[in-house]
Amino acid sequence: TKYIVPAGCPHVNGFKVDNWKQNLRVIYQCFVWSGSVESRKRKAKSCICHLCGAHLNRLHSCLYCVFFGCFTKKHIHEHAKNKRHNLAIDLLYGGIYCFVCQDYIYDKDMEQIAKEEQRKTLRSALVDCFVSCGLCDAGVGEKYSTWEPTKRELELLRHNPKRRRITTNCTIGLRGLINLGNTCFMNCIVQALTHTPLLRDFFLSDRHKCEMQSNSCLVCEMSQLFQEFYSGHRSPHIPFRLLHLVWTHARHLAGYEQQDAHEFLIAALDVLHRHCKDDNGKKANNPNNCSCIIDQIFTGGLQSDVTCQVCHGVSTTIDPFWDISLDLPGSSTPFWPLSPGGDGSTLNGESHLSGATTLTDCLRRFTRPEHLGSSAKIKCSGCHSYQESTKQLTMKKLPIVACFHLKRFEHSAKLRRKITTYVSFPLELDMTPFMASSKESRMNGQYQQSVDVFNNDNKYSLFAVVNHQGTLESGHYTTFIRQHKDQWFKCDDAIITKASIKDVLDSEGYLLFYHKQFLEYE
Amino acid sequence: MNKDSQMRAAINQKLIEMGERERLKELLRAKLVECGWKDQMKAQCKDVIREKGLEHVTVEDLVVEITPKGRALVPDSVKKELLQRIRASLAQHSTL
Repeated sequence: TKYIVPAGCPHVNGFKVDNWKQNLRVIYQCFVWSGSVESRKRKAKSCICHLCGAHLNRLHSCLYCVFFGCFTKKHIHEHAKNKRHNLAIDLLYGGIYCFVCQDYIYDKDMEQIAKEEQRKTLRSALVDCFVSCGLCDAGVGEKYSTWEPTKRELELLRHNPKRRRITTNCTIGLRGLINLGNTCFMNCIVQALTHTPLLRDFFLSDRHKCEMQSNSCLVCEMSQLFQEFYSGHRSPHIPFRLLHLVWTHARHLAGYEQQDAHEFLIAALDVLHRHCKDDNGKKANNPNNCSCIIDQIFTGGLQSDVTCQVCHGVSTTIDPFWDISLDLPGSSTPFWPLSPGGDGSTLNGESHLSGATTLTDCLRRFTRPEHLGSSAKIKCSGCHSYQESTKQLTMKKLPIVACFHLKRFEHSAKLRRKITTYVSFPLELDMTPFMASSKESRMNGQYQQSVDVFNNDNKYSLFAVVNHQGTLESGHYTTFIRQHKDQWFKCDDAIITKASIKDVLDSEGYLLFYHKQFLEYE
Repeated sequence: MNKDSQMRAAINQKLIEMGERERLKELLRAKLVECGWKDQMKAQCKDVIREKGLEHVTVEDLVVEITPKGRALVPDSVKKELLQRIRASLAQHSTL
């Protein structure tokens, strides 16, 4: 293999004399990446071609004297020839052009200076932005730079020469799990978690630095699990260590009976969250301000607005959540038959053929204002007395991974049963209608707000579906997971088979896992 | 310079002073990545490099070859949005 090393050229030596570094910095600060208001004014006024006055045409500045010239019209070339000034800088991108080599060159020292100046400017530009306009939706910030390995990483790469190529058809990441006696409730969740992209990336890049003394860290075990899943081994994995740790840390799940997969999910996330000291070194003690990987991925904020029916004062609380549990029609809780259509389902392209309930129907019910009857009066701080009120739930902050739990298992005093009503769910989900901000717009009279095509923040893609077959007493869990964007596989304990999108969408659905389509850097 | 390019230059100046030009550049960059334009251009560049040979190709070769294609492939929706943004920014500081 040939390695392309960024090549400088010998012709820069004439430039690299005296105080050249400082001079170069000044050029970057004033004319290429102007960060301050004054330098921007200066740039606006002076950056025009000295020969023709144009500001477009790939303006370049001579590095040896104060001359600006068009590249396209060859005005800078003329100058270079006449004055024998062989170096110029592109004012748009900061590249250095050598007229002798007749190409852009990449001198290590000069590149270093360029990078530093650019970083400085971006930081101050961000501050300016916030100061002058309050919002900054163009996202000026830390520029994306490609990964460069550290010394340690280079060492590791050299010591581990085996490379694995991920093609669109490879099955890396797919692995069966042996059932250790009614443990499919655990297996199905493990399949969903090992195929959660951000979680996978976190563990495969060794981001967990364990501070627990004993061997009972669940996060370490998860890390090990990911290694097993992405090892390329095709034989089913036996998760006995994971099971043992679960029994240790979540006693209520111990035993050989079938447990609820949803309960296992919440218990697992809880233990993982507790065992993750904030991997940046700070202690993750405050549940409202934790930045462990579990919270970063799964935690959303649920807003609850209680409105007094007398004075219309609103009392708002925001609670963190890891999942959204949705009531289904046919349960003993009243499920209002909502008329088909409306914001939610037209946005998510669902059809209401044969009156099937949709996921968005359930979400609309979840976020509808609920009148708390006269027997449940709330003390209103505005009225200073107990009044009737309405309560409404909306999403304040969406998690990166949204998990919807369809409440199929009814455990009321009277009956214990499974609700098998079919609920249709989409491949792509837009959560905009259920946001607290959307509710505010509606209240301010902006009905039917034009769907902001450029706002992709609330769009989600389905990536895992956990299903339960059977009855409350004896049942079996399986999971559909998504691989390589549009391939789906069914995970039934040790058996992995290819599945069609239709198989997935026709399934009953118990736990639905959605992943945000677009991620913003913080 | 004719009236048109005078206007262009004045607008450009205003946008630079406001810091808006940088923001617009970043917005445009993000949009062009999202719609796959950047990937298309990358592929085009690779083709040119293969054609000219890695040892001999210059930045100028690439600029000459892909600029017209690049300009043509920018989606109308992106052009529209940028135009809207520019109009809005200038309207805010309308001493032009």
